[in-house]
Amino acid sequence: MRLQQNRILLLVILLLPLGGCSRQEQLHHAQLFSFGTLVDVSLWGASPSQIEHAEQVIHEELRTMHHVWHAWQPSPLTDINRKLQEGTEFTCPPELLPLIVQAKDLYRRSGGLFNPAIGRLVALWGFHGDSPPQGPPPRPEAIRKLLASKPGMDDITLHGSRLLGTNSAVQLDFGAFAKGYAVDRIIDKLMRLGIKNVIVNAGGDLRAIGHHGERPWRIGIRNPRGQGVLASIELGEDESVFTSGDYERFYDYKGTRYHHIIDPRTGYPARGVTSVTVIHDNAAEADAAATALFVAGPEKWPTVARQLGIKYVMLVDDKGKIHMNPAMAERIRFETADRPEVVLSERL
Amino acid sequence: MNSTLLTRADRLAIIACVALLPWLYASFWNNATGTGEEVHIVVGGRELPPISLTEEQTLTVQGSLGPSILEIADNRVRFISSPCQGKQCIYSGWHSHAGEFVACLPNRIALQITGRESRFDTFNY
Amino acid sequence: MDRTLVSTAEDHRIALLAALAITIHIAESVLPTPLPGIKPGLANIITIATLCLYGLRTAAWVLMLRVLAGSLLLGTFLSPTFALSFSGATASLLVLSLARLVPGKGFGAVGYSLLAAVAHMAGQFTVAYWLFIPHPALLHLFPVLMTAAVLFGLVSGIIVATMLKRFQ
Repeated sequence: MRLQQNRILLLVILLLPLGGCSRQEQLHHAQLFSFGTLVDVSLWGASPSQIEHAEQVIHEELRTMHHVWHAWQPSPLTDINRKLQEGTEFTCPPELLPLIVQAKDLYRRSGGLFNPAIGRLVALWGFHGDSPPQGPPPRPEAIRKLLASKPGMDDITLHGSRLLGTNSAVQLDFGAFAKGYAVDRIIDKLMRLGIKNVIVNAGGDLRAIGHHGERPWRIGIRNPRGQGVLASIELGEDESVFTSGDYERFYDYKGTRYHHIIDPRTGYPARGVTSVTVIHDNAAEADAAATALFVAGPEKWPTVARQLGIKYVMLVDDKGKIHMNPAMAERIRFETADRPEVVLSERL
Repeated sequence: MNSTLLTRADRLAIIACVALLPWLYASFWNNATGTGEEVHIVVGGRELPPISLTEEQTLTVQGSLGPSILEIADNRVRFISSPCQGKQCIYSGWHSHAGEFVACLPNRIALQITGRESRFDTFNY
Repeated sequence: MDRTLVSTAEDHRIALLAALAITIHIAESVLPTPLPGIKPGLANIITIATLCLYGLRTAAWVLMLRVLAGSLLLGTFLSPTFALSFSGATASLLVLSLARLVPGKGFGAVGYSLLAAVAHMAGQFTVAYWLFIPHPALLHLFPVLMTAAVLFGLVSGIIVATMLKRFQ
């Protein structure tokens, strides 16, 4: 009798810690590596068939992104670039038209800071390749030459689906917002599959819809200098978090870092900023805004954010100081042991 | 036999105290820098047996380009050397949170950190 | 009339037990600890055995004497270490006196030892946190310390229970 009781006791002791385990069956987490991009997907409460279809959708979109919008390998985009340079009117392929329309709009609203027409400049800096360049940086004369003609999205006129290039220096490179655009398309397709709660994270930039069961999706924002998590945020029903950083594609040459976010006004990598994080509903706009605000810099970003309709911005400058608007400061939660130095801007 | 060593009250006390422990870990360990317990290393398509993050060590993993060296210390893991050109894997620094995923894509080495329920669903960088 | 100090049998008992406890305590203090605050607490074997054999009052005396004399002998009297010891001991006694109120057969040596160890560690930790290191990093240690307390409390308790059984 006592022996029996003791055995039950032992069993209870061993099983009790399991009570601390949470319900993980509803959460599905997968990593997909496709066409050079790592996509991290988190689904909540999705059926096995939805999960399978979701993975297919993501692969398809990444293939499109890779083949249709490729900035340097032969693709429909390089075709368009050639025709724009030739200066004769042509019909834009349907898979690229919405991209160009949105790019023109964002170019105008960002005051030209988001400018996908400077592909030539990006290539000059060596960022049109699969591996990072080694340096040295391009000569100032070469940069000046490309800047002289001031290529911009307004140099592409659009009538219906007919395009005409009016500046032979224009070369389209959608690197600054292609990921966001693809993520938007993926989320649209996933929603059509009936999926209600998902995070699509393409190489660190993401859009999330729904929530994690009873609680909102919680995102950890990594420290731009690589030491753990800087801050965390809980997302609403449909929000995107995009960060542009000087650590994504860069090379160091003789002690200076040259990164891929080129300021279209100077022709050189934008200075003064380490990273910009933007929270917005639309992923393509968030992606473009993160780039534009990076270029705008620690002084001018609030103006540009207002023009773009961005409500939440966090900018880490090159001294490690954090600039935010009050609304962002209210939402963000710092995860570091010591509180970082924060500069609040006026309300956006 | 220890059957006469424990009274009924003793048994209840033991259950209560032992039940308290997981709750304590759940409550107080959320403030830890990371919830990661193990790292799963995937090379090419092959997954290696998981390695605990609690033991300090360095390990060399052979990828398609050559060896990458990982360092494990303080419940975290990082790349300290890799034959890739970009070295993004190294620049991303320490990783300690359950659910984190970091990779050296050119060398086809991926690290997935697992642990108890993570505080974060995913990471932005 | 002269007042003389007359010692009773109970006093002798307390003195002997306290001496035993102090000896064990001092011997234990030379052991290296992986973390501050983690000691097997073997002196508690004496405390709990006293409790079971001679009651709470005697055990309380033995415990307090052990803490006091132990700190005097180790040179930690009125130091932070003493504050920790003292708060731990007080917490244990409180919990033990409450445990005594349980109706029926109540607790055995194992139960008392476990409760005393847990209370002791909790008391020590609270003082350590509030008075000495109010740093969140310390909280990280708490579950580990409590696990050790549960473990050592159980082990001491089993030792006491076995000892008592052998002598009865």
